[in-house]
Amino acid sequence: MSHATDKSSATINRRSLLMGAVFMLGGAAALTRFVGKPSRGDELELIFSPEQFALLEQVVDVMIPRTDTPGALEAGVPAFMHQMLAEWASPNTRADIINVLEGVERRAWNKYGAAFRELPGERRLDVMRALDEEGLAREDLAYGKFKSLALVGYYHSEVGATQELRYELVPGAWRSCLPLSEVGRASAV
Amino acid sequence: MDFDAIVVGSGISGGWVAKELCERGLKTLVLERGRDVQHRVDYLDFAPPWELPHRGMVPETEKAQHYAIQSTSYAFNSASSQWFVRDSEHPYSTPMDRPFSWIRGYQLGGRSITWGRQTYRMSDFDFKANRLDGHGIDWPIRYEDIQPWYDRVERFAGISGSNEGLEQLPDGQFLPPLALNCVELAFKQKTEADHPTRRVTVARCAHLTEPTPEHIALGRGPCQLRNVCERGCGYGAYFSSLSATLPAARKTNKLTVITDAIVERLDYDHAKRRVSGVRTIDANTKQGRSYQARVVFVCASTVATAQILLASKSEYFPHGLANRSDALGRHLMDHVVGIGASGTHPGFLDRYYYGRRPTGFYVPRYINITENADVDFVRGFGFQGYSSRSSWQRGEHEAGVGAELKQRLREPGRWEMSLVGFGEMLPRADNRVTLDEKRRDQWGIPLVHIDCTHAENERRLAERASQDAVRMLIAAGFENVTPLGAIRPPGSSVHEMGTARMGRDPATSVLNGHNQAHDISNLFVTDGSCMTSTGTVNPSLTYMALSARAAHRAADLLASGEI
Repeated sequence: MSHATDKSSATINRRSLLMGAVFMLGGAAALTRFVGKPSRGDELELIFSPEQFALLEQVVDVMIPRTDTPGALEAGVPAFMHQMLAEWASPNTRADIINVLEGVERRAWNKYGAAFRELPGERRLDVMRALDEEGLAREDLAYGKFKSLALVGYYHSEVGATQELRYELVPGAWRSCLPLSEVGRASAV
Repeated sequence: MDFDAIVVGSGISGGWVAKELCERGLKTLVLERGRDVQHRVDYLDFAPPWELPHRGMVPETEKAQHYAIQSTSYAFNSASSQWFVRDSEHPYSTPMDRPFSWIRGYQLGGRSITWGRQTYRMSDFDFKANRLDGHGIDWPIRYEDIQPWYDRVERFAGISGSNEGLEQLPDGQFLPPLALNCVELAFKQKTEADHPTRRVTVARCAHLTEPTPEHIALGRGPCQLRNVCERGCGYGAYFSSLSATLPAARKTNKLTVITDAIVERLDYDHAKRRVSGVRTIDANTKQGRSYQARVVFVCASTVATAQILLASKSEYFPHGLANRSDALGRHLMDHVVGIGASGTHPGFLDRYYYGRRPTGFYVPRYINITENADVDFVRGFGFQGYSSRSSWQRGEHEAGVGAELKQRLREPGRWEMSLVGFGEMLPRADNRVTLDEKRRDQWGIPLVHIDCTHAENERRLAERASQDAVRMLIAAGFENVTPLGAIRPPGSSVHEMGTARMGRDPATSVLNGHNQAHDISNLFVTDGSCMTSTGTVNPSLTYMALSARAAHRAADLLASGEI
């Protein structure tokens, strides 16, 4: 796996972690529709406001929906991303992810004059498709991180690895050249 | 005398020395600066991706702050980071414009837990190279000297591979190979047809494909094709000090292992012209103590061995122990990496494989062996190659969301192939390890200063390697072929060598042809520091063979009373 890192990011002592989280809440609060009462209790709760977490759920549900197999919600992708932002991400990465969510909301308003959550499924997909195409075309680092985390969250979850794709903890054999039809789906690792 | 022998370091070299000495009946003490580790118990190899800490990713800030150098290793992830030192706790210095990547593992077993497991013999093209082209000094040994020891260590370690009858890559004692996949086979056929001077063969690697009774007796089992080797293997299917040599040494009841024992220096008794003791500092309590034995092996790894010997100054060896030649710490080398190419193949979309093979294929050196025309450099390079089909990760870079994305990623993507070059680096006296007496680590030991750069021959060889890789991939029908990039800083291949080189002349080398210090008969060094040149192949198998050979030499000399 290769994932973008930010070597210039600050140290991860508790103080900077909190400051980073507070900074991001400040950034989010600048958009009035995000204003909510941030919880001052647990550090983990500082990552997303309830509205942001709900938006994250809606976004990954569009990105990786339930089809004939479970989707991102059943695979626990929002909770995974929350945990990664709380424990794994640098302050910069956290800010990037929040910015991507803000961008989704901004697009929804600009294009359809309503919040993402208010849009019907087709329009949500339309917003996400445009965001994805532009993000990849511009090689937008923040969007790349967002999509990467969502995909890891899904395809390396138990559901994603074993139901959507194929994963054997102990393959036990090497069969070097087989018809794809005999193996079935792509290997998750 | 507490022990017959002391071995400093428990990695690949130290583990081999300990095993051979113990089996010769010698009471042996292994000193390891890192912590104790339990084979199997301490491995995370049975965690599926969703149970790994952060799905295998080390937290970004922790990585930047504590593992800036170590995290450049391909083997570094959240399930293996326990096998890498924290750079923040183990500093060293380099000139600002000359970085050196010193990748380290301070625990019992050292880097034998995370090594790449590629195992190739050096040939007389390597052992004679210095003498023939005049770079460096002549090796004091030839292939025939080391050949029986290669046989011995291959049988015990368990090396899978295929005999090819190539003079530059001598055949060995192999377990069955791990077969090439469809695309690799096609690449082999095309490349060998285009270039009868080149060979594409399955990788030779330290994986048990069919364990022998000797392997099974040590509790080792066959490779399960999981490809999580860098976490440690509970099956003991790949060779490490923890799976193989230390268990064998323990069986003799002659082995004592002391972990958290940082060797500060060796004491020298000039009257007897012998190493008289090994001084250690406890990593946790910082208590000092000393151990005595009749013979001492330093196998601390190339840079650390130089550090210890340079620090072991005395009235009689003012520039470092056994350093009458001033060769100690000099001639630091590492294979040139960051060279080669990769591409994708448009075909074979109806083919796949089952299992996760932990290795690939190998293109042995041909430059200046079977191909000499238009070559403007000496020595050469080999390629490690690998082909596999991309999976869901490509979704990060390909546009698409929703049901369409899911459906597309359900199928494996295109076949990808990489040819990763490993080039020879010439020995140069200015590439060296010294001690920074003004700066000390938390144990009061002078920091290592590493000053090492590539020169014109490495640059030319690197350019040619990338060119050849690009051409071979294009010829075999690959698309999107791109060179891998630029030469990476020395140290990046984790094949550092040469700081206490072997040689015939005590005036220009530290060790003789048996890895014994010219100046001190009871001092042996068998890690990468002994290497007189790098060759092009991965060096660990050679360290194993030289370690076993030197251990038996020392046992013979002890038995005869000569040391």
